Amino acid sequence: MYRIRFHGRGGQGMKTAGRILGTAFFLAGYEVQDAPLYGAERRGAPMLSSVRANGKPINERGIINNPDLVIIADESLLTLPAAGVLPGLTSHSVLLIQTDQSAGTIKNHLHIKGEVLILPLPPDEKTTGGMALASASCGAAGARLCGLALDILEQAVRLELKTLSPNIIEKNLARSRQVFALLPAGIVREGKEIMAGWQRPHWIDLPMEEASISAPAIHGGATSLNMETGDWRILRPVIRTDDCVRCGLCHVFCPEGVISLTDDGLPEIDYHHCKGCLICLAQCPAHAIDAVPEHDKGGKL
Amino acid sequence: MKKTIFKTIKDLPRHHPLGAGTPACGGCGALEDIKLFCDILGEKTIFVNAAGCMTLLSVYPFTPFRGSWIYTAMASAPAGAQGVRDALDVLIQKKRLRPEDDLQVVVLTGDGSAYGMGLSATSGAMDRNLDFIYLCYDNEGYGNTGHQYSAATPHGAQTATSPEAGGYWGYKKDLFSIWAAHRPSYVATVSGSDPLDMARKIKKAKDLKGPRMFIALAPCPTGWHYDPKETVAIGKLAVKTGIWPLKEYIDGKVTHSKKPLSKEKRPGVEEYLEKQGRFAHLFKPRRNDELLAEIQARVDDYWDNIP
Repeated sequence: MYRIRFHGRGGQGMKTAGRILGTAFFLAGYEVQDAPLYGAERRGAPMLSSVRANGKPINERGIINNPDLVIIADESLLTLPAAGVLPGLTSHSVLLIQTDQSAGTIKNHLHIKGEVLILPLPPDEKTTGGMALASASCGAAGARLCGLALDILEQAVRLELKTLSPNIIEKNLARSRQVFALLPAGIVREGKEIMAGWQRPHWIDLPMEEASISAPAIHGGATSLNMETGDWRILRPVIRTDDCVRCGLCHVFCPEGVISLTDDGLPEIDYHHCKGCLICLAQCPAHAIDAVPEHDKGGKL
Repeated sequence: MKKTIFKTIKDLPRHHPLGAGTPACGGCGALEDIKLFCDILGEKTIFVNAAGCMTLLSVYPFTPFRGSWIYTAMASAPAGAQGVRDALDVLIQKKRLRPEDDLQVVVLTGDGSAYGMGLSATSGAMDRNLDFIYLCYDNEGYGNTGHQYSAATPHGAQTATSPEAGGYWGYKKDLFSIWAAHRPSYVATVSGSDPLDMARKIKKAKDLKGPRMFIALAPCPTGWHYDPKETVAIGKLAVKTGIWPLKEYIDGKVTHSKKPLSKEKRPGVEEYLEKQGRFAHLFKPRRNDELLAEIQARVDDYWDNIP
């Protein structure tokens, strides 16, 4: 059975990538499961999508803990323990990351035993941080690495994107073919069936807790500041202070309240919490804010 | 009479009590509304929050609020507010809470609760003249569960439960009038894209007693399908095209705090609709002239009947 896990952030298209791969497997005659897990159910929050494909009925359910292939759309997830991108990787599994870094760097930094492959970001996608076609890119990568045929992949892309305009479908197909040609065919090997039989669980008795422990209250204010939502960003707003007219509109309209004003009215962005929505850029009357892709800053490893 | 303190953008508070780092989507219109409410109301508040997107602001052990927060079921936030208000009053009466430490009770719900299942509890709270502020962030659908239509969804909007071309067959409920018919102390519509108008109204309500009710437009990039950076631009267009009237009810009278230009001069509703994926079916693959004209006619009709 093939077990594939896609990791991305809400809005990057990893649910669709999973659907494209699942549909491709199905068209190739496999029994298929594909299911997204949204976690916080928020744009920008880590999410994952699981695909299982087997020649016979699949009796396994739930999150894939022993993946044969892991595909990561956004390298910033690597340093986020809550995203859970690395658990379950063994020397058997293949890891594919969409990044501009080298495979060696990632393998060494993260002590990965199995094969690491790189999917370079498309060069003409500076404004989107490489995410405009991420679902087709990652779906196609999965199909190629699992040895599926190109015509089946194209059929799956058309089926999954059929509500979009012909122009956008064509762009996704072109990107799929490009990715297909870049990556080696069929290097992912099917993992063993592990659900051989029912096993009695090891029950653990949990004693009842005091109400003050089981239903605790928070007595501190604004503890959310401990959550560094800055790593949600794909694009970073950067203020050109020479062009800033100090009108304060970015400070007023930032929904997160992360743009403060200095005593002389100059805005300062708290990058630890800025989610990169770019309302500041859209509302700046002096056009003094640029959007810089996060991966242009040399990554976060 | 106190003079208006919010004349220009620079008069708005510099400090935001609401903490960053929330799980709300980037570009969330509701968060923008709540941020300004916290700016003006200050820290001595207790938010009574019905189930919805904004309940996820406070997930143990994290909260952006500096005051208190309590979670209720979707239909019962105003009932919860009654309990909280009564408890505070009892504590003050027994001298266990100093009057200067009293908290402003604020009900916080989405449109699903305000326009639908929480309406009965809200009606009861107004009947009892409960001393509270109600903030409904209106993103025109059940945003937290994947944007199914609610009683606040506008006619023609595509949602998870009205995905077909033509969109939602129903019409947005006139909650402002339903609330105003209870004759509470104050009712207002506001929009985060118009922070001065909103700040003045919150300040006005803060100085009153009794039920003070707000419906705040909350553009939703995730549910309305647009780029998050457009949230403020879309909010402004909602006001300019006349789709979202900014008004208030006080002392038995409804007044509009900002009126769009005349029918001939104001931008058509198309300018607002075409920015949002939920209305894309009105333009592609073919223009739906009939439905566009119907939406425009409803807006024109509203303003034609405003004295």
